[in-house]
Amino acid sequence: MRLKFDEQLDLLNKELITMGAFCENAIAMSAKALTEGNPVLAKAVPDLSVQIDHKEREIETMCLKLLLQQQPVAKDLRVVSSALKMVTDMARIGDQSADIAEIITLANIHATDDTQVIHDMSVAVIKMVTDSIDAFVKKDMQMAKAVIDYDDVVDSFFDKVKKMLIELFSKPETDGEYAIDLLMIAKYFERIGDHAVNIAKWVLFSITGNKEG
Amino acid sequence: MTKRIFRSICLVALTVFLASVVLFMGVLYEYFSNVEQTQLKMQTTLAAQGVTNEGIDYFHDLKVKNYRISWIDTEGNVIFDSASDTAEMENHLEREEVREALSSGYGESKRYSATLMERSFYSAQKLDDGTVLRLSISQNSILTLLLGMTQPICIIFVIALILSIVLAIQVSKKIVKPLNEIDLDNPLSNEGYDELSPFLRRIDSQQRQLRGQKAELLQKENELNTIIGSMNEGMILLNQKGKIISINPAARKLLDAGTDCIGSDMLSLCRNLELQEILTKALHGERGENIIRLHGESYQIDADPITSENIVKGAALFFFNVTEKEKAEQIRREFTANVSHELKTPLHSISGYAELLKNDMVKENDKIPFAGKIYDEAGRMIRLVEDIISLSHLDEGADDMQRENIDLYTLAEKAVQSLEPQADTVCVALELSGVPAPLNGIPQLLYSVIYNLCDNAIKYNHENGKVMVNIQNENGMVVLSVEDTGIGIAPEHQERIFERFYRVDKSHSKAVGGTGLGLSIVKHAAKIHNAKVDVKSHVGKGTTVIVTFPK
Repeated sequence: MRLKFDEQLDLLNKELITMGAFCENAIAMSAKALTEGNPVLAKAVPDLSVQIDHKEREIETMCLKLLLQQQPVAKDLRVVSSALKMVTDMARIGDQSADIAEIITLANIHATDDTQVIHDMSVAVIKMVTDSIDAFVKKDMQMAKAVIDYDDVVDSFFDKVKKMLIELFSKPETDGEYAIDLLMIAKYFERIGDHAVNIAKWVLFSITGNKEG
Repeated sequence: MTKRIFRSICLVALTVFLASVVLFMGVLYEYFSNVEQTQLKMQTTLAAQGVTNEGIDYFHDLKVKNYRISWIDTEGNVIFDSASDTAEMENHLEREEVREALSSGYGESKRYSATLMERSFYSAQKLDDGTVLRLSISQNSILTLLLGMTQPICIIFVIALILSIVLAIQVSKKIVKPLNEIDLDNPLSNEGYDELSPFLRRIDSQQRQLRGQKAELLQKENELNTIIGSMNEGMILLNQKGKIISINPAARKLLDAGTDCIGSDMLSLCRNLELQEILTKALHGERGENIIRLHGESYQIDADPITSENIVKGAALFFFNVTEKEKAEQIRREFTANVSHELKTPLHSISGYAELLKNDMVKENDKIPFAGKIYDEAGRMIRLVEDIISLSHLDEGADDMQRENIDLYTLAEKAVQSLEPQADTVCVALELSGVPAPLNGIPQLLYSVIYNLCDNAIKYNHENGKVMVNIQNENGMVVLSVEDTGIGIAPEHQERIFERFYRVDKSHSKAVGGTGLGLSIVKHAAKIHNAKVDVKSHVGKGTTVIVTFPK
């Protein structure tokens, strides 16, 4: 009985990591498309997002089945329930990557000096997502905490982008749509960072059982 | 062990005890019965005499304790009884002993009481007057005796039990002790029981066999580990569930994994989806390979299914670093593209001028300059082709070229001389200094090294610049340095200038001329002479190229 349960938990773990890898791919592709100003690259992201949504459903079903059939307690319960919550955040990361990609496909964005700071921001966000999934894989509390702290860096990047855009707006020759697109992309990245923080928090919960914040 | 011994001891003790009880009881009881019977007979005779002499009065004085005396008349009626009231007693004629006494003068019998708890002996004698005197005595039956002895029997029983337990424990301890003390690691050195020696010999031989096999296994494992451990390629073995069974140090380093990763999932080491895809394929029995990027380098990954009897038992992953290979491939592709481009440019001019001439669209006095231009372009092409040929020659290792003992200084003089006119046209001073430096090498190659370095130094120079060629002997090495006061090379280009057709400033290459192969030839020629090439350069200040030849 326990053997089967262990196998199922193992599978759940594997599926979560796979989903995490999908998310990493989606956001990396969006960021690359943004940096290179390449709308063609961005077109693949929505497909990936759909895949991520499928994975979310799959993992949700798996978690519910586990809860129902095995009625886990203590650590197992924490693992399953945090998985159930984590997939939601991962799916949101996928969706927002797709949103970024969609803005890029509209081809208003072209690689300029303005996108440099957003590029730096995307690098920081990708690091957060990767680290949060790494923290989950390695069950590393230190790493999860580092991810939560790193959100400040991303937030400060967002402030920088805002300041830059305010300057941009004040120039008469600025293409308004372009500037707004940049703002939205920056906001999406910032949101992705928040989701990474959520994932890290759930990782902490699944290890310690303490729910913070 | 103890239990069994206890049981046997207990059984023996109880059997012996019971047997002796039965024996003694039987024999003694019989003996005492006989004694009693004899006494009874005697008493009967005495009493009979007394009665005969005294009549009924005899009974009045009689004090009987143990015996019961009855006097029975010829009719069987009891005249006197010491125990009961005579009136109530029944006729005794039918009693065995009475009947016997009546017929033969004396009779005996024994009867058990109704409860079997008592046994009575009767003895009867016929008196002279025909009446019968009967004496009887009661005796406890054997059963009563036994019942009476229950307590001592029980006590003996308990003592026997306790003794059995103590003995059993001691005996089993004694038996087991040598067994426990057997040193199974050295079975033959034991004394203990002789009965065990075949067993011990067997153990010994099996142990030796095991040791041999273990050593063999260990050796094989060590060999394998050494091979796998010293491999540069990463290798990971996975079971059919995709869990890591074995991972070599190279792969561990590559995937940044600790030693505890064995048994964990491949996904937890590397979340690359392409890698996952070929791994899944391999676990379904299909070979797969892909090139993925890890830590900024390219790795070719082969995933092979491990099958046994057509069932996939796992998969093996191999990581080959193909960064260099890819780079080489890219350089080769670039080279081909560059060569075609470089050849095409002069050909275009040649064909253009030739077309004009063919169509007679050139004025008479322009014909000579046109022909001159065609000649120049053709010359450029020839130089280019020559450079390419010598490069490919150098690629092959220049085996057919003769090494000679020459003086590098003399060679440098020749090169400087031939470049003098070129230097004059761009107003660059070309100077040669140093000492004669004998060297064993291939003259053509050494010449082209000096020639190309000076050529570049002149080409990429300012007006009124200087080129200083110096040859020295240092610590048994010959050091050739070509220093210029030219435009210099930015650090990011310094590594690449030795690549074929690489130009720092692509837009001006045409104006400067040259094939873009000069430094490449220098590099290869230096390599063949085991020489080291160093470039020191500051943008705007100049460049120094130092070639150090071992003698």
